[in-house]
Amino acid sequence: MNLQNLSIKRKLMLIIMLTSSVALILSSVSFLIYDLMSFRRQLSQDLMTQAEIIGFNSGAAMAFKDEAAATATLSALKAKEDVVAAALYSPKGKIFAHYFQANKSLPSSLPLRSQESTYRFEGGYLQVFQQVTMNGERVGTLYLLSDMRQWNIRAKRYTGIIVIVVLICGSLALLLSSKLQKLISKPILHLEDTMRTVSSNKNYEIRATRFYGDEIGRLIDGFNTMLSEIQLRDTALQRANNELQTSTHELEVEIVHRKRTQEELLTAKQAAEQASRAKSAFLANMSHELRTPLNAIIGYSEMLEEEMQDSGKISNVLDLQKIQAAGKHLLALINDVLDLSKIEAGKMQLNIEAFEIASMIEEMVTTLKPAIAKNANEFQLRMPEHIGTMRADVTKVRQILLNLLSNACKFTDRGTISLDVDRLRSAGQDWIRFRVGDTGIGISAEQQENLFQEFAQADISIARKYGGTGLGLAISHRFVQLMKGRITVESAPGQGAVFTVHLPVQATTEQVESARYVEKVSSEAAPEATPDADTILVIDDDLAVRDLMSRSLTKMGFRVVAAASGEEGLLLAKQLHPLVITLDVIMPDWDGWTVLNKLKADSDLAEIPVIMVTIVDNEAMGRDLGASSYLIKPVDRERLVTLIEKHRASRFSTAAKTSALPANWSSKGQKNSRKPEAVGPRRH
Amino acid sequence: MKYSRFMIAVLLCLSLAVGANAQSSDSPDSSEYLIKAGFIYNFAQLVQWPSTAFLQADSPIVIGILGTDPFGGIIDRVIQNKKLEGRSLIVKRLKRGASVKDCNILFVSSSEAAHLDEVIQSTKGMPILTIGEMPGFATRGGIINLTLEGNRVRFEVNIEASKQANLNISSRLLALARIVPQSAEAKRSE
Repeated sequence: MNLQNLSIKRKLMLIIMLTSSVALILSSVSFLIYDLMSFRRQLSQDLMTQAEIIGFNSGAAMAFKDEAAATATLSALKAKEDVVAAALYSPKGKIFAHYFQANKSLPSSLPLRSQESTYRFEGGYLQVFQQVTMNGERVGTLYLLSDMRQWNIRAKRYTGIIVIVVLICGSLALLLSSKLQKLISKPILHLEDTMRTVSSNKNYEIRATRFYGDEIGRLIDGFNTMLSEIQLRDTALQRANNELQTSTHELEVEIVHRKRTQEELLTAKQAAEQASRAKSAFLANMSHELRTPLNAIIGYSEMLEEEMQDSGKISNVLDLQKIQAAGKHLLALINDVLDLSKIEAGKMQLNIEAFEIASMIEEMVTTLKPAIAKNANEFQLRMPEHIGTMRADVTKVRQILLNLLSNACKFTDRGTISLDVDRLRSAGQDWIRFRVGDTGIGISAEQQENLFQEFAQADISIARKYGGTGLGLAISHRFVQLMKGRITVESAPGQGAVFTVHLPVQATTEQVESARYVEKVSSEAAPEATPDADTILVIDDDLAVRDLMSRSLTKMGFRVVAAASGEEGLLLAKQLHPLVITLDVIMPDWDGWTVLNKLKADSDLAEIPVIMVTIVDNEAMGRDLGASSYLIKPVDRERLVTLIEKHRASRFSTAAKTSALPANWSSKGQKNSRKPEAVGPRRH
Repeated sequence: MKYSRFMIAVLLCLSLAVGANAQSSDSPDSSEYLIKAGFIYNFAQLVQWPSTAFLQADSPIVIGILGTDPFGGIIDRVIQNKKLEGRSLIVKRLKRGASVKDCNILFVSSSEAAHLDEVIQSTKGMPILTIGEMPGFATRGGIINLTLEGNRVRFEVNIEASKQANLNISSRLLALARIVPQSAEAKRSE
């Protein structure tokens, strides 16, 4: 057992016992040694005295050589128990008389140093030599031998006493230390016990008892103070814990509540989304269902009108024009509603591309001519000669201007409609400014407030009188916002109105990519010139569409080949290598997207430009799959022809650059490209 | 057993010592008188004379030998250069009838046995230590008589005579002596 790990009780006892025992033994032993030394000296002195007396008494006997008398003198030593032998030597060293106890012998001759009176201790015996004299004359030597019996007895007895005393004192010390050590060990043991209880029970209300005012007492005081502190903190901690638990519980309840709400919200959201999807599907369906018949109505009425004009049946022409106008109005309404719903759904996307502002305006004015003529208005276009290009969604820009201009025509009678286009720089940016002015009825200040809101025509009566959905301005406004521009109006009742549109020259939207794509397509669209350069392949499952497209494009001087399914279209495309392919989307078996994919996957056909002609409004999809242009049914013929001409022109210009083409290709292209321009104004 | 063996050893030692002593002497007589001369010297040491016995503090102790000298020159050699309490010792040889009053010690030779009473009578009242070597010397009024017990020299002391001579004999001497009384005849002669 390790001494250091003994209990404090045992340590204390051990210390006391060891200290007292060592002190006691040391003092006893030193006393014993001192006593025995002095006793031995005393013994030797005694024996010397004895020897002197005997020497004196035996002097005469020695002198008279009276052995009997000398022996008798020596016999007196019987009384001295420790003198075991004695002898008288003659001056010559011969034994003269002797005395001895049993078992003791005498030296046969005197030791060398026998000439003096001396004593010595040898082998546990004390030897004494004493000169025997008569009147100062040496007559012999006395020799005494003592076994120091008394000394031995005393040594033994004293040792015994010391052992007994040490034992008794040790027992007493043990008894006392076992009682007295409690003075120190009891408070410590109590403190330890308390500490163990506290730490095992975690009960901080227990206090250690203070027994005495010593250091341990102060230690216990300190311990108790610490316990109080811990108790305080424990209580505080407990309280905080409880509060935390309460608030945690509250939070949990709150979380459960919120989760439920969230679930409800989610359900509601899903329901709303479901409803929204249903609405979108419905709208898509409706638009398809509405546009398909309208397509036929407008297309055929146009065809009929042309035929009637050719045959000179003017009265029918007017009727057909009314049908056509009604159809177009209906189409515009449907388009407006669809556009608005798309804007509201945040699904309206911009297709940014670079275009010539002048040509865009010219094209639009051509389209507007009938509307201007209708109320006998005069039209003024003011535009710098080199207005240049801008990057924006050309379709949207056109639509905005058409809306504003057609509104101006609508509300002006025998007045002037003006369009001012110019470039200007403000707020660190280049802008194109379009100003549409009229001399019409004007708009009051109150009316201006809601002017750009949906379904908020200046007056309901206006709708009856002038027609229109009242969505045109709202849609224009939204489009301008999409392109990060602004639209404002200056007007007063009866004073006409001026709508000003600012659009950035470089439209910055997220859809810059599609713009880049357009450029790429336009540069890619340069296949080698083929004999079928005038062939247009029309792929559409709708017979009416095929028929209309064939007729109208044939008239423009194109050779039209029609395919009723995607599969057939693909075969024809491989055979013919047409100039342009028009492609419908919704078809049985292969839909338009599939066909487009296959066309673009075939290296022979990949470079043929594809114009999507469809009811499905998903231009982005078409662009992504590689379509060159995207037209929504009912097809604006003017626009279709313009696109086809553009593709042909770019193909030939590229061809002209890359190879020396025969002059007739070039002239043929010029002829064909001129044709729509010649036809276009005539159509409207 | 041990005891007896030890005793034999001791006795052997003693006899050897005595034998050696005997061998060292010239003759049995001369050895005897050497011892006796030593005895006389020793007696001188253990006897106290009254102060009137000496004229001066350093007066010598006079040893008178009356009659035929048995010592030869032995006694002279024994006392030669010896001193007792500042006194030297001298020997005087006396013929029958010579005055003994100067003597402090008077050795009466055996040749004077027939005239013993006269000799003792002549020392009466004087502090003279009388020493003889004949049977009945002490009882007849002498103070010390040397005797032979075997080959050992012993002596008898007549304490009464020493007191009459005003001599103080040491108890140590008396302890070794055989004390003898004064005979009735000697008393009567007084």
